[in-house]
Amino acid sequence: MKKFISILSVLVLLPLFAVAQNDGGIVRADNSKFALTNAKIYTVTNGVIEKGTIIINNGIIEAVGANINIPGDAQVIDYSGQEIYPGMIDSGTRLGLSEIGSISEANDFREFGEITPNMQALTAVNPNSVAIPVTRVSGVTSALTMPAGGPLPGTAATISLFGYTPDQMYAGSKGVVMNFPSSAQRGWRRRTPEQIEKARERAQETINDAFDKAELYAKIKESDAARYYPEMEALAKVVTGEVLLYIEVNSAKDITSALEWVEERGYKNVVLTGVAEGWRVADEIAKSGFPVITGPVLSTPTRGSDAYDTAYKNPGLMQKAGIKVALRTMDTENSRNLPYNAGFAATYGMGREEALKAITINAAEIMGVGDELGSIEVGKKANIFVSTGDPFQTSTKILDVFIDGYKIPMTSRHTELYDEFLNRTPGLNKNATKVDG
Amino acid sequence: MKILRKTLFRLIFILPLIGLASSLHAQSDPTGESPATRTFAITNATIIQAPGKMMEEATIVITDGLITAIGKNVNIPSDAEVLDGTDMFIYPGFIDGMANTGADRPESPERPDNLFTPDPPNYYAGITPENQVVEQIKVDENSIEAMRKVGFTISHTVPYGRMLPGSGALILLRDADHPDKLILSEGSSLYSQFSGAPGAYPGNTLGIMAKFRNLYRNAELSKSHSELYASNPTGIARPTRDRVSEAFYPVIEKKQPIFYNASNSLEARRAMRLQKELGFNLVLGNLQEGWDLADEIKSTGTKVFMSLELPKEPKDSKEEDKSDEVKRLEERRMEFYKKYVTQYAQLQQAGIKFGFSSIDARANDLKNNLLTIIENGLSEDEALAALTTNAAALLGISNMAGTLDEGKIGNLVVSKGPYFDKESQIKYVFVDGVKYEYDLKTGARKAEDGEANPAGMQALIGTWSYEFTTPQGTQTGKMIFTNESGMLSGIMTSSDGTPDVDLQNISFLNNELTFDFSIDAGGQSIDIVVEGVVDGTSYEAEASVAAFNVSFPIQATKDEA
Amino acid sequence: MIKTSSLFILFLCVSALHAQTKKGDVLIKNGTVITITDGTLENTDVLVRNGKIDRIGKNLKAPNGVEEVDATGKFVMPGIIDAHSHIAGTSINEGTSQVTAEVSMEDVVDPLDVSIYRALAGGVTSIHLMHGSANVIGGQNETLKLRWGSTNPDDLRFEGAPRTIKFALGENPTRGGRSRGIQPQSRMGVEAMLRNTFSDAVKYRDAWNEYRSNKSSRKVAPEYSLRMETMVDILEGEVLVHCHSYRADEIYMLMKVFSDFGIERLTFQHANEAYKVAPELAEFGASASVFADWWAYKLEVYYSTAYNAAILTKNGVNTSINSDSGELIRHLFHEAAKTQKYGDLSDNEALALITLNPAKQLGIDNRVGSLEKGKDADIAIFDSHPLSIYAVPQMTFVDGVKYFDIENDVADQRIYIDPESTVENVQIFYADDHDKCMEGANVVNFYDLFNNK
Repeated sequence: MKKFISILSVLVLLPLFAVAQNDGGIVRADNSKFALTNAKIYTVTNGVIEKGTIIINNGIIEAVGANINIPGDAQVIDYSGQEIYPGMIDSGTRLGLSEIGSISEANDFREFGEITPNMQALTAVNPNSVAIPVTRVSGVTSALTMPAGGPLPGTAATISLFGYTPDQMYAGSKGVVMNFPSSAQRGWRRRTPEQIEKARERAQETINDAFDKAELYAKIKESDAARYYPEMEALAKVVTGEVLLYIEVNSAKDITSALEWVEERGYKNVVLTGVAEGWRVADEIAKSGFPVITGPVLSTPTRGSDAYDTAYKNPGLMQKAGIKVALRTMDTENSRNLPYNAGFAATYGMGREEALKAITINAAEIMGVGDELGSIEVGKKANIFVSTGDPFQTSTKILDVFIDGYKIPMTSRHTELYDEFLNRTPGLNKNATKVDG
Repeated sequence: MKILRKTLFRLIFILPLIGLASSLHAQSDPTGESPATRTFAITNATIIQAPGKMMEEATIVITDGLITAIGKNVNIPSDAEVLDGTDMFIYPGFIDGMANTGADRPESPERPDNLFTPDPPNYYAGITPENQVVEQIKVDENSIEAMRKVGFTISHTVPYGRMLPGSGALILLRDADHPDKLILSEGSSLYSQFSGAPGAYPGNTLGIMAKFRNLYRNAELSKSHSELYASNPTGIARPTRDRVSEAFYPVIEKKQPIFYNASNSLEARRAMRLQKELGFNLVLGNLQEGWDLADEIKSTGTKVFMSLELPKEPKDSKEEDKSDEVKRLEERRMEFYKKYVTQYAQLQQAGIKFGFSSIDARANDLKNNLLTIIENGLSEDEALAALTTNAAALLGISNMAGTLDEGKIGNLVVSKGPYFDKESQIKYVFVDGVKYEYDLKTGARKAEDGEANPAGMQALIGTWSYEFTTPQGTQTGKMIFTNESGMLSGIMTSSDGTPDVDLQNISFLNNELTFDFSIDAGGQSIDIVVEGVVDGTSYEAEASVAAFNVSFPIQATKDEA
Repeated sequence: MIKTSSLFILFLCVSALHAQTKKGDVLIKNGTVITITDGTLENTDVLVRNGKIDRIGKNLKAPNGVEEVDATGKFVMPGIIDAHSHIAGTSINEGTSQVTAEVSMEDVVDPLDVSIYRALAGGVTSIHLMHGSANVIGGQNETLKLRWGSTNPDDLRFEGAPRTIKFALGENPTRGGRSRGIQPQSRMGVEAMLRNTFSDAVKYRDAWNEYRSNKSSRKVAPEYSLRMETMVDILEGEVLVHCHSYRADEIYMLMKVFSDFGIERLTFQHANEAYKVAPELAEFGASASVFADWWAYKLEVYYSTAYNAAILTKNGVNTSINSDSGELIRHLFHEAAKTQKYGDLSDNEALALITLNPAKQLGIDNRVGSLEKGKDADIAIFDSHPLSIYAVPQMTFVDGVKYFDIENDVADQRIYIDPESTVENVQIFYADDHDKCMEGANVVNFYDLFNNK
């Protein structure tokens, strides 16, 4: 931890413009012992504490409750009238991997090749990506950041949105991403059903071959003579269940096929992602017992013949069928809209409580880090945010964010530009004396 | 009056034919191909002179290209070849309102160096209204025989091209040694379509609509200018020659209609919008979605040739446990299929006298499509009218074609059994008095074009190495053909890492191998058609990219097994 | 120009022939009426007669035969206006040349696009169907009312709305220049192209004016150019310019060019960096139509802030929030609400961003954008305050005709169906795909076609 702090003092957290409230100064994250008092606390797993206290120490929630003794050395912050929630988890993003969408040099989520499960998203996460502070000041504290591309594009990682190295950000969960062969259209390109079917069959063959090999490799890899084969090594961990398999699959037909495929292969540690048409086959998914990461909720329907609100309703319908659902934005710079995706899901059938779980505890449990993230409980990582009210409500402000126990500076590129330009100096006339207004 | 008209006829049409005949007489015919006589009599036939006007056990006589007698008691000329018309039904030759029949698709225009200007060269932009379709017509174009075989005798043929390819002509679908001899009349239309120039202005509907208006307005100004100058050139700037504008003069004078290829309802409305703004005479051709347009067509007085292309009838899923949603969607799809097939009857009932056009249809599908249209409410008489009298009226040739009357051109369809019976077959087609005879099929169906021939397939099965030459260099890779339960299947791989593509519509007949495939180019799907001949283990072909109107050579050799 | 061009008069005649679109009568009872221009009125009724707002008041009685809608507990607001949309168009970009002022989106209106109904279900009643941003001077746009259900594009036209045109600065047009080896390849070139084109237009106008004032019967007309006609119409203020722009410097440049040519009305579209030159925009009187929070998808939007709309509003710039997307258009009320998180705009300020302010930018604020007696009855009803995340649109009216009613919502809204399509045609939504501004603009060249790029 000492080392961490020394690194912190060397690296400058937020460069750029002079910020109005601390001209010339640099705001640093603070990992004192904190006592957050008098707030309405949404623990998610243990109900709501109307007026409670949280003690944060050493990155961990040390105590939470209505009647908590406040340690003498704690920095006390009175949050009367405010609400505290576990930090939101975006279960699908390219945070850290993509800086500027249209510039290929600024994107690192796609590697060449069809079978590249050994490509590690975590390696390419840029801890200083401008999008990260923009995201976390909105209360999103963790994210699954995913590679994209061919049938098996790489390994995704769950990250904390604070830290100066990928390892400082790593939140303890990895999973191999697989794009299940798709029978759906995407983009502007129009393909005939025959073309789609042929492509789907070929992709299926590619995937099957890869996993056949991986199953064999899993059996022989302990042998000294086993060849160096990093692709298969990565897949073998899926076969043995050591790492998660995130299966991106969207159309109803493909979801059914994916479930059959998983059952045939007998893989256990599986998460379905995307699942845009999950509501059509919700019972089948529920029966499989596999959890789902779905979103963006703010999407157009998958079919021209669908009702206008199918994408809004999809998470609620799946949840009601008994599926464990987490939500994602599948965005990068606007991962901050996660609470609004949850808000729409809540409005269109999921309800507020379940929607909140879908961006906190469900997400954490699905990624296998439910004992560390996703709720306000003693012993869990101190990832929380303080808000003026319901975080789904668009007008709500996020007042403070704590990640891994650090109180994060509530500034980002967006707030800094606001502060600089709301009343620009000089205004219209460079030579005019500034009159304070 | 009638006599006068007849005389004029003879002057216009028979004189050239006499010339033709005499030139044939000038030497013997060692090929043995020329007919022994140009007089024919079909006896004891059922003759449908015009829709709704039928004569049984009647005779029709054709002499030197014209119908010279028709009726029950007709003198058969002594030099006539007499054909027994028992069980035969004789109809006026069909008239195609808009097609490329007889025209040969020209080489794609070369890409100019400076493509990205507001006004690329006209030849590339597709603005060539001064062109005549006769320049594209080839006497041995396969489409002439293909359309004749199914009963068409006159085609309003329009040129290939882009936005304004040129003017169309009425041609007779007969044999000839020179395109001029097919021409019934030239300048029948100024042909226009919504096809943009690849990568150049006008690239799509947006540019085409604007460019059309701009061309039209400038043609009007240019016309006034020329007329002013012609009246007295003194003091007037000499007009520069502008063949594009000049091509519009007859349109502006309403002596020539604009034929707009408008397959869907939005295109049809756009064409009518231009007509309303600019005031020319409009004919819509190739209309495939007209069910919502009856009022609009009637109120604007637009003439219409409906397409003879129909969508395939949707096949509902056979699954027994299909969801209510699927059932509902299938019902709606069927409802729309019905709109396509019933619109003909609906437009006819709305009082629109349309003809038919074949430009987007395959000749072999035409009869089936007609039968489908009839099953869906259009009477046989009305269908026949659309094929004959309506089309003749819309094209302004009612005085020479469209019915079987004395003095009209000898264009006949002779079918065994009533033509609109599913089982009927065409026995003869007469075009311009020239007889074409077809074998009647009996019993087993022959394999249709496009079906793979399992016996010959073996020559193709296997891996071929290809080389594809484009202006940007050469691409190589493999084509792999396989036999999948009697059907040919294939993929194309590329040595530069481009993803594999599936080959579609593979046809391998008489050593002719054709297939197509599409590739993804920047989010846009580009279709490429490959046609060529297999000779042992080598394949020489041409790959054409319709979207760009270009083609490139492609060679392949079969790898050793 | 040239006194209204003859074409334009013809257009008017054409639309006059078709102008008989449906008009409705309805009495909306006892709602919370958000007028935008006259406060928010509790327990208030809105009476609509023949497509117009006839009265707003308490305890209004429904005239004979007029349908009554009970809005107790509901919120009644002006129909939402999207100042930047690409739904309902069969083509978006004529991107084949850098100046295509003559082309017009009115020729490619697609009344069959299901996105229209989906927008209605988000309370939207009017859209500005824009040409794309591939060229410096793009095509003319078309303002539409979402009269869903007709197959005739003319039925959707916002009759009487001023003509508008799309311009584009920055990366999009310079990318076109670079890929083709022509000007402009830089923001310098963009300015030069604008100045050249306007100078040509001035010459063109002079030539025609001279021709028109020539009394001789033996005069010869100059060449006619629909492109220059449109440019002259811009100079004369008859066509309003909506300019795709991002960076502050290019926004500033265009204001200078317009000042030099005497063009007064100007709206910047996207304008992610408009906040940096807010005082200059306010002084010019230019408007901005922006995204609520989009940024970082390209270099020129990297230095953006979601506080853009708030900074502009507080600096006195007429600002709207638009969608540019068939997805976002369905929840513009939510996009507007983000200005309360990012910059503390009041309810009325936030809602004006999607009603009155875009109406002003499109020159239709005399007809729509607020609930006022005499205005068109383009109305959206929500079950809770439209800025709330929990708000669900209930009904949407255009000209007093109800086009969306959540109680009678039919899933399959397609107007035309391809009989050869499969029943289960699935299209997966990816956020990356939905910036349609450049659709069709990526001209495929042979190099791209045959090289694996």
